[in-house]
Amino acid sequence: MLYDIRLHLHYDYAAAAGGGRHQIRVLPSTISGVQRVIAASLSFAPAPNERSDFSDFFGNNVTSIAFRDAHDALDIRMSARVSVSRPEPGLDVSPDIGRLRQELAAVRSLASASPHHFLAGSAHSGIDAAITTYARDSIAGSAAGTAMNLCNRIHRDFTYDGDATTVRTRASDAFKLKRGVCQDFSHIMIAGLRGLGIPAGYVSGFLRTIPPKGKPRLEGADAMHAWVKVWCGRDAGWQEFDPTNGMRASNDHITVGYGRDYSDVAPIVGVLKTTGGQVGEQAVDVIPVALEKA
Amino acid sequence: MAKGNHKRIRGKPQIHSLLEHYQPIDGVVDEMVDAAGNPRPVWKHFIEALDDLGAEKLGQRFARADQYLRDAGVYYRVYDKAGANEREWPLAHVPLLIEDAEWAAISAGLVQRAELFEETIADIYGRNRLIEKGILPAGLIAASPEYLRPVVGTTPAGGHYLHFCAFELGRGPDGQWWVLGDRTQAPSGAGFALENRVATTRALSDIYGEMHVHRLAGFFRRFRDALIGMARESEGRVAILTPGPLNETYYEHAYIARYLGIMLLEGEDLTVSGGRLMVRTVSGLMPISVLWRRLDAAFADPLELRSDSQIGTPGLVEAIRQGAVATVNALGSGLMETRALLAFLPKIARELRGEELLLPSVATWWCGQATERAHVLANIDRMVVGPALSTRLAFEDDGQTTLGSTLSAGERAELVARIERDGGAFVGQEAVTLSTTPVFVGGWLEPRPASLRVYLARTPEGWTVMPGGFARVGLSLDPTAIAMQRGGQAADVWVVSDRPVERETLLPQEGDSFTRTRPGSLPSRAAENLTWLGRYIERSEDTVRILRAYHVRLAETSDPDMPLLADIRDYLEPFGIDVETAIPLGLIGTLDSAVYSAGQIRDRFSPDGWLALKDLSKTIHQFATTVAPGDDATRAMTVILRKLAGFSGLLHENMYRFAGWRFLEIGRRLERGIQIARTLARLTSLKAPDGALDMMLEIGDSVMTHRRQYPVQAGRRTVIDLLALDPLNPRSILFQLERLKAEIGLLPSVGGEGHMSPAAKEILQLNTQIAIKEPSDMTAKALDELAYEIGGLYNSLAKAYFG
Repeated sequence: MLYDIRLHLHYDYAAAAGGGRHQIRVLPSTISGVQRVIAASLSFAPAPNERSDFSDFFGNNVTSIAFRDAHDALDIRMSARVSVSRPEPGLDVSPDIGRLRQELAAVRSLASASPHHFLAGSAHSGIDAAITTYARDSIAGSAAGTAMNLCNRIHRDFTYDGDATTVRTRASDAFKLKRGVCQDFSHIMIAGLRGLGIPAGYVSGFLRTIPPKGKPRLEGADAMHAWVKVWCGRDAGWQEFDPTNGMRASNDHITVGYGRDYSDVAPIVGVLKTTGGQVGEQAVDVIPVALEKA
Repeated sequence: MAKGNHKRIRGKPQIHSLLEHYQPIDGVVDEMVDAAGNPRPVWKHFIEALDDLGAEKLGQRFARADQYLRDAGVYYRVYDKAGANEREWPLAHVPLLIEDAEWAAISAGLVQRAELFEETIADIYGRNRLIEKGILPAGLIAASPEYLRPVVGTTPAGGHYLHFCAFELGRGPDGQWWVLGDRTQAPSGAGFALENRVATTRALSDIYGEMHVHRLAGFFRRFRDALIGMARESEGRVAILTPGPLNETYYEHAYIARYLGIMLLEGEDLTVSGGRLMVRTVSGLMPISVLWRRLDAAFADPLELRSDSQIGTPGLVEAIRQGAVATVNALGSGLMETRALLAFLPKIARELRGEELLLPSVATWWCGQATERAHVLANIDRMVVGPALSTRLAFEDDGQTTLGSTLSAGERAELVARIERDGGAFVGQEAVTLSTTPVFVGGWLEPRPASLRVYLARTPEGWTVMPGGFARVGLSLDPTAIAMQRGGQAADVWVVSDRPVERETLLPQEGDSFTRTRPGSLPSRAAENLTWLGRYIERSEDTVRILRAYHVRLAETSDPDMPLLADIRDYLEPFGIDVETAIPLGLIGTLDSAVYSAGQIRDRFSPDGWLALKDLSKTIHQFATTVAPGDDATRAMTVILRKLAGFSGLLHENMYRFAGWRFLEIGRRLERGIQIARTLARLTSLKAPDGALDMMLEIGDSVMTHRRQYPVQAGRRTVIDLLALDPLNPRSILFQLERLKAEIGLLPSVGGEGHMSPAAKEILQLNTQIAIKEPSDMTAKALDELAYEIGGLYNSLAKAYFG
């Protein structure tokens, strides 16, 4: 599928922000076997005094900007054309949890895709006894089967509610609330899998806005989306699941970045010198590009 | 044990040896005496010398060492239920003596260890050979919070990760030294080691002089030169980064900064601009190229590391990635403190260096591996079990680390279950028995367990080892009681040679070339604190002068409601000064604020200045509970005035006339201008009660001058002439304005060379305006407005220099 993606982030500051430095992670990158970026651009208003682009540890595109002067609003606009083509999930060749552990121990790597980075608890997805107990009921004969079960159960047991949580909510708190948004469901699934000994990470990205004819509109399409990647052993590798919609990541899922949890791939982080609060808005459009009619 | 043979009989047959009651523990090595109870050779002369002094004299001398530490204001901070408190430095008076041949062996082992650590850390953040070969488990490193992904693949500026390390050692029952723990993050204590040395030699100067004890200064000089050398290559400055005055070892940060002459900064002093790390100074942004950080790496940059850090600098990691700044040690080096790594060091040493460790670490097994886990579980009764990723020493790790033999059956079963479930989270370590060293208790020497902390610094010629360090000595025989936070003490360590040693100092030696360096630029935050210190001190003085004038009159009158006293009461009330209380809370608050401001910039004070201020604060807090209004208060105010004058004099006579002093002076003059203008407005007002003019002269310390200058009684005009418009009276408003004009004119220029700053324009205008006034112009309203305008000057200065 070929998409045109537009993202608009807007922040208003209660008191004029006296300069500041931010890192922005919203630009998709080309990922072999998943997607290809054909064009992408990112712009800011007001124009920052400094700007530099780099790739972080997990391979995500980062744009670092700095303002010296006071400003009371910040506008970020990203547009990209991305072609997504994920392989069809084939036969499940992933091992059970016991064998997965042995295969994991045999991975002698700290490269950014190494599963070792995704096993220990992290800031938002700490290993939590209650979540682990919940996840245990999803254990199947294979790691991928376990992940799919857990993904479906979270979709069924939790209520989508944009007001219940914030970007700072941790998995353990969202789990108690039984509600939240894509970020929370992903954190809960990650924490659950890690509790079982299965490496799991956070994927930040976009969803197609208008569903194909006859299909329901997916939850979370009006803002940036998040789902989960799961290490399913040496042969099956990384596979992606969307607990918000109870499905595997499809060609409607466009990836921006990977991390241990939200804090590694937050769209914007930054320190502003302001005494007041800041209010953010975001708008997303993901429109399939009609190919030339042949 | 028979110790009779050590009694030295010199005319006084009843002299007892301090050793007489010394009872080392069976099966434990004692540093001072051997198994037979005989002093080891390196201690022999030392003990004889102590015996010659006798217990009583020795007690007096040790008290002298304590007095030195109190006078120097050495403290550290402890955190307990009551919160954070400053505590006096707990010096264990008897130094630990080590022979230099033995020291050479320790040094060689630690230099090897530091080199090995450098190679290991470079591999973990770089090529990852140790992981690929299976020598280090990837899962262990990936799980550590000290493994900092944002710096993976970054080669540190200057090429090295480690520049300053400390190692904690203990001597086991076999007499061998073992490394108990490693400090590679931001090792503390080197400054305390210096202070230990100064204090101990105060007490034992003669003995120290007779013995050939290696000096410490050379170590610090070589490291300072190394830091400055690193900075010179990249044309920036060296700075020490502290978490701030609330940190447990802030005293040491300030002390080292002062001792080495290096800028002491906090995170907010720094900013990143154009990819470079800069310090905000009163002369603008200045590049920093070497940062000796005393805060944990995770807090160094809220943008890429811990986002909840309030003490970091956004963008620092980016500057590091670009190679624009070297941090000592490199961010991420704290990983080497991870307890579980001890288990892998022997293999790593073989792999990377083809060597065996010269100094072994305490035996450690990581339970993330099946064989090791089985070993720990089988031997759990003689193990210390704790978190694999902990970076604390086992004996400091409150509650987290347990001694297997002390567990109940239930606790033991629970621990075993946890290890079986999640082995990777645990390490088992052999329980260590530390050697003992003597402490002086109640006139005798007694053995106490001790560990030894040794410091290494990188220089262009390689690692240099501080010949000494400090020993942590337990308060009791319980080996866990050596942690400072739990009441442990610190002893000096004397490395003793049988030959004369080099006497090194930090001062340049005859024949050294020297260059005159301009004093470094003043950080904005320091300038702000200095200005406020000046203001608070002056405000205290002005308040005390008014209060004294009040209480003199109160003591003499039978009518406490006489109009003048009532007027003063009303005048001071809005400033939080309640005259009913002899020492008003508002006054104490002002002085406390002065102490606080000074505490933020302790590296800029001589110990004398700091002590004078602390003494002032102590006095006023004491007076607050004892002094009564009237006569008593008058005397108290006179004492406080004298002490204030003492402090001001110390600063005035001793501070180098550079930007720092200038801001202090500006603060004082601003405040005095404001106070005099306000008080004048009140007391020379047409509505002022009888006696107000005389009182004003008294407050303005101008009674005598007035008598001499004006052959008439004090009138409104003469008082205003003398206290507002006389350019020669150091208490007049015009005098303050003249001083302010001069000092503000000398501040670093902002907005381009040759241009006057807004503050300079304002003061010029104000000064000219007042200089041409006549006393009749200075109505109460005009004076109040003038006070307001002088206050406005502060805002212009703050905008230009403190932002």
